[in-house]
Amino acid sequence: MRYAGKKMITMLLTLFAVTLFVFLAFHLISGDPATSMLGTDATPERIAALRQELGLNDPVLVQYGRWAKGFLTGDMGTSYSYRLPVGEMVLDKLPVTVTLTIMAFILIVIISVPMGIYTARHAGGWVDRAIYMVNQVIMAFPPFFAGILITLVFGRIFRLFTPGGYVSYEKSFAGFVSYLFFPALAIALPKAAMAVKLLRSSLISESKLDYVRTAYSRGNATRDVLYKHVLKNALIPLITFLGMALADMIAGSLIIEQVFGIPGLGRILLSAISNRDYPVVMAVIVCIAVLVLLVNMAVDIIYGLVDPRITVE
Amino acid sequence: MKRKGLKGLPMVFVLTTLAIALSGCSGDKKEETSSQITIGIPQDIEESLDPHKAVGAGTEEILFNLFEGLVKPESDGSLIPAVASAYEESEGGRVYTFTLREGVKFHDGSAVTAEDVKYSIDKCADTSNGGPLVEAYSNIESFEIKDASTVVMTLKEADTEFLAYMTTAIIPTANENPDTNPIGTGPYKFVSRSPQENFVVERFEDYWGEPAGIRDVTFRICSNTDSLVMDLEGGSIDMFARVTATQAAELSDRFEILEGTMNLVQAMYLNHEAEIFQDVRVRKALCYAIDPEEIMMMVSDGKGTEIGSSMFPAFGKYYMEELNDTYNQDIEKAKRLLEEAGYANGLSFTITVPSNYQQHIDTAQVLVEQFKAIGVDAKIQLIEWDSWLSDVYQNRDYEATVVGVDASSLTGSSLLRRFTSTAGNNFVNYSNADYDAAFEEGISSTDDARKTKYYKECERILAEDAVNVYIQDLPEFVALNKKYTGYEFYPLYVQDIAKLRLAQ
Amino acid sequence: MAVNVNRKKNYNLILGGGLTGVIMLFILIGIFYTPYDPDAMNAADKFAGVSIRHLMGCDNFGRDVFSRVLEGSRTTWLVAAGTVFIGTFFGVILGALTGYYGGIVDEILMRVNDAVFAFPSILLALTFISISGSGRYQVVIALGIAFIPSFARIVRGEFIKCKNMDYVKNARLQGAGDFRIMFVHILPNTLTVLLSAVMIGFNNAVLAEAGMSFLGIGVQPPDASLGRMLAEAQSYLFRAPAYAVFPGVVIILMVLGFSLLGDGLKNE
Repeated sequence: MRYAGKKMITMLLTLFAVTLFVFLAFHLISGDPATSMLGTDATPERIAALRQELGLNDPVLVQYGRWAKGFLTGDMGTSYSYRLPVGEMVLDKLPVTVTLTIMAFILIVIISVPMGIYTARHAGGWVDRAIYMVNQVIMAFPPFFAGILITLVFGRIFRLFTPGGYVSYEKSFAGFVSYLFFPALAIALPKAAMAVKLLRSSLISESKLDYVRTAYSRGNATRDVLYKHVLKNALIPLITFLGMALADMIAGSLIIEQVFGIPGLGRILLSAISNRDYPVVMAVIVCIAVLVLLVNMAVDIIYGLVDPRITVE
Repeated sequence: MKRKGLKGLPMVFVLTTLAIALSGCSGDKKEETSSQITIGIPQDIEESLDPHKAVGAGTEEILFNLFEGLVKPESDGSLIPAVASAYEESEGGRVYTFTLREGVKFHDGSAVTAEDVKYSIDKCADTSNGGPLVEAYSNIESFEIKDASTVVMTLKEADTEFLAYMTTAIIPTANENPDTNPIGTGPYKFVSRSPQENFVVERFEDYWGEPAGIRDVTFRICSNTDSLVMDLEGGSIDMFARVTATQAAELSDRFEILEGTMNLVQAMYLNHEAEIFQDVRVRKALCYAIDPEEIMMMVSDGKGTEIGSSMFPAFGKYYMEELNDTYNQDIEKAKRLLEEAGYANGLSFTITVPSNYQQHIDTAQVLVEQFKAIGVDAKIQLIEWDSWLSDVYQNRDYEATVVGVDASSLTGSSLLRRFTSTAGNNFVNYSNADYDAAFEEGISSTDDARKTKYYKECERILAEDAVNVYIQDLPEFVALNKKYTGYEFYPLYVQDIAKLRLAQ
Repeated sequence: MAVNVNRKKNYNLILGGGLTGVIMLFILIGIFYTPYDPDAMNAADKFAGVSIRHLMGCDNFGRDVFSRVLEGSRTTWLVAAGTVFIGTFFGVILGALTGYYGGIVDEILMRVNDAVFAFPSILLALTFISISGSGRYQVVIALGIAFIPSFARIVRGEFIKCKNMDYVKNARLQGAGDFRIMFVHILPNTLTVLLSAVMIGFNNAVLAEAGMSFLGIGVQPPDASLGRMLAEAQSYLFRAPAYAVFPGVVIILMVLGFSLLGDGLKNE
């Protein structure tokens, strides 16, 4: 409980800092919601009037205070550009990003765990060597380029999905999930490559420890040793990595969303930034930050489950 | 227990993923429904859906299908009666009388009344928010309801072009959420929108005129325009209105490529407040340095229409092709002019370009190279559209910028007014008494020949005074799946979807 | 098995070192010589294929891709190096202070760190561009700041681990000041970890530069960078595949070389 309380306080502090930074940043960037809303037909008088109406002439801290007060009372405001309630807009897009992230995560796990174990057990073999090189190359691909190539290969040549044919989850969940498969793959591949590498090296270093030798000398079969003792201990760094990867994916699938035309949080964030639609930007950032925090908490709990010696302070 | 979990779980994952992947294959495409079309658009409609408040060109071209004014533009550039069935011009263009069409309905089923018309016009003429929504409406003296089907508009000063502004959308007095729930009288009505995903409309069955050819229309936001060819070939979109020359060349014969022009004046606009551009010799030198042909070659495979002043060919009678030859590339002459102006050792300036327009960025890159030949060192600075609006357009804090300026209405003045010294949107800070006088003559003359003469005089001044470095009217390539036909180009920035129909 | 591993690690070192060497040579050549002016356009050579005259073909403006790759590699390398420098420099200071002292300073700085981590890097980049104009230096600063938290976290972890070790206690007993202990005694012991973080950071910076170019906020045209070239080339993927392939391959080799080198050094 104390743990949860402490985490809550740090989260609130972080959120406070991030939202304040974002607000200040918007103050520094040229252009504001009023010019964005009025476009090329605007006269200086009309811009001034709209700025007044939106309260953009107030000192930045007053504006921040107004936003924070609204947020704390559950009112995230209205999008300047879409004129829709921000809460509704963000909640509508949240499942997209979450599903994409979960799918990518599942892919990472199913790719990296078997491969990691295999390469560790056959370390030095040619398969290990080949997988190592392939992984290195995958990690060297710029993400957007990988996305384009995946679209080209699986969408254009093999016709396994319709490029740009995103289906809303409200319309057909199966269609939604099947469209997200390849974007998820594009996100997962580089991370899976890193995970394989990590799992392999932690398995190898773990298997050199004394207790493993002891287990061998007691006549345990290799397989048993690997699963029972080594894997369990080697999982700790992997879990840390997966936690970080998950957090990273929530905040950073922006480019893949853009490449595959997926209307997730990243796209909303990007367009809101360029429209100076800061109620939306703030809401998305808070949303991402909370998700990341939840992931971090989950990682801590899983540590405890895998290794009871690690207790949450 | 644990061991089993570890081994079993991946298996489940593999199976689900396989199932997902397979459903992806068999899911293929939906069967061709009788009349529906998906149209790709490069950016979302990220603003109010109230036609009077909407400002984005991308929004206006779609809302064109939802709303109509008393009159509406046709593809040949003429104005045809819409909500009004007839109109009459009297007192030399000072009084306009409109007869409302019988039986025109809004999308919510209610009939259009004279009150709705007055409300719509009044809303755009309202000055309480720092100025009228339609600037030209400051010329309206009164707008009165004569009887249930007749409205009379009186202007302060006669203006024979004023009808072109009566395309202002007629909206119902009673609409609580015009920002998110657009109700108009157009051939299509709003169904739904999902931010960054799509915008859906369907045919309005009670439309007064010829009903639209296709029932369901989805505008899908294509965030990555680089994969448009794949999107079109894969079938996720059936049409895209502005593919590049390269993309047009890559599309298979399942698509028809229609070629038109974007109807805008692409130029390197110069800030006349900037010290270097106050000298006409410098401006002329820049005009002599460039070769529009080469720019077109580089940017759009040689397609495009050269222009020499702030007017494009779609305007027919006002367009002056001869002005294209005011400056033909002449490096020596350009250098000499620079020398005379005291820039023998070269000069440098920054070209600010909005980062969301690839064709303007590409043009600017070619310009930079062409300027190098006369010893001018130009730097490109990309900024976001919104920063462009505030820094360049509103605050006029820039040296040069490459953009395309379009006409907001079908009048010559919509392109020429901005260069008069007092115009609010004179973002190049141009000031020339001769120009102001010629424009004043043009706008106030009721005789068409005389008006044309003075507008041409304005264009000539713009060209000869090298106000801006004029380049071209950009080519527009529309990719349309051959399942559909009937696309028509307009001299304005609109997409008329109602004219599309299935090809058979 | 031990013997096996030994031989492999040399492989990484040799291959990684070789690749990095070739790229560096490439960049060096680019400083002194490019076959053409990287910005010179030529309508006749638009999308020209690979030939003796144009080793990597030409782009949509008829510019020589080889010359641009030479110039672009340099830009990309400098951006990445600058980013890592800023990230490491401030990351080490922050990480050392917070790790060594702990307590409330640690808590506050780590929260600020978290905040920077959660701050959208696009907005960060845009803020810099707005304040000081766009260009490669702004890209470096924006990316550099975004990279500080991860370096700080790594260094902090090492410092926490080291600060109670015997050699630190010894130094303290001998009367060494805090700063001396931090930067003379502990820091050298974190070098292995820091080095691999720098290698990874460098690669992430190369990829991040590409990502920013894709989103249109990287270096300004007509300047070439590998990321910008790749982002521009994807519009012409079918018409001129070579245009995308060459910058892409160089990015991949650059990153690959560094990560192999990093792996090699780690096992050394």
